[in-house]
Amino acid sequence: MKIEIFYTPGCFECDAAHAKLRKVAQESVKDLQWRELNVLDDLDYAVELGVLTLPSIAVDGELVFTSMPTVMQLCVFRGIVSTDFTAS
Amino acid sequence: MFTISKLASLTSVSNDTLRYYEQEGLIEPAGKSAAGYRLYDTDSARRIRFIRHAQNCGFTLAEIRELLALRSRDKACCGDVRTRAVEKKLQIEGKIRAMKAMSKALDQLIAECANEKQPVNECTIIAALERAAVSTPVQ
Repeated sequence: MKIEIFYTPGCFECDAAHAKLRKVAQESVKDLQWRELNVLDDLDYAVELGVLTLPSIAVDGELVFTSMPTVMQLCVFRGIVSTDFTAS
Repeated sequence: MFTISKLASLTSVSNDTLRYYEQEGLIEPAGKSAAGYRLYDTDSARRIRFIRHAQNCGFTLAEIRELLALRSRDKACCGDVRTRAVEKKLQIEGKIRAMKAMSKALDQLIAECANEKQPVNECTIIAALERAAVSTPVQ
């Protein structure tokens, strides 16, 4: 699975959230490709995916989250944990 | 303190536009004259210049209202404003890309129309647009 976070530097809350998400994803997903992309360095790619707000997250080349998801939202999206687990 | 007309001439913005900004809550008078006319101060002039510059960069009035609110919020930092500027750039780049695609599509239609003296019922551009309309139904 390839997870790409588009961000703009300078947001301390984003930095903290990135680290938390990365940790969970790395612990939960085999063959994880984790990329953190400064949107200004990868502007064409961001526009191609339709990124309009920051931070945004693409999973396997598809824009999935247009704001920072919680760890649980990310996990549920890719079936890392089941929705039953979140309900309990 | 200035009347609305004086403010308009100072900022090169029409009276009507200033009234609209006021209706939208972007500026507000600093007081009233003895005759009841609204009066504005230099902060209003500064806000109007801010609004005009932001509009020139593509921000909508709703977005400008947020920028003005950020400007006066203690906990906001430059990064908050920068993020909005980067998001606006993404929107503009997306529009440029979409418009380039439109321009390319038009290039193709124009190139396919080899003879501009044909009667309109044989116009290849109209025929191509009709074919496109059949293949891509309007949502």
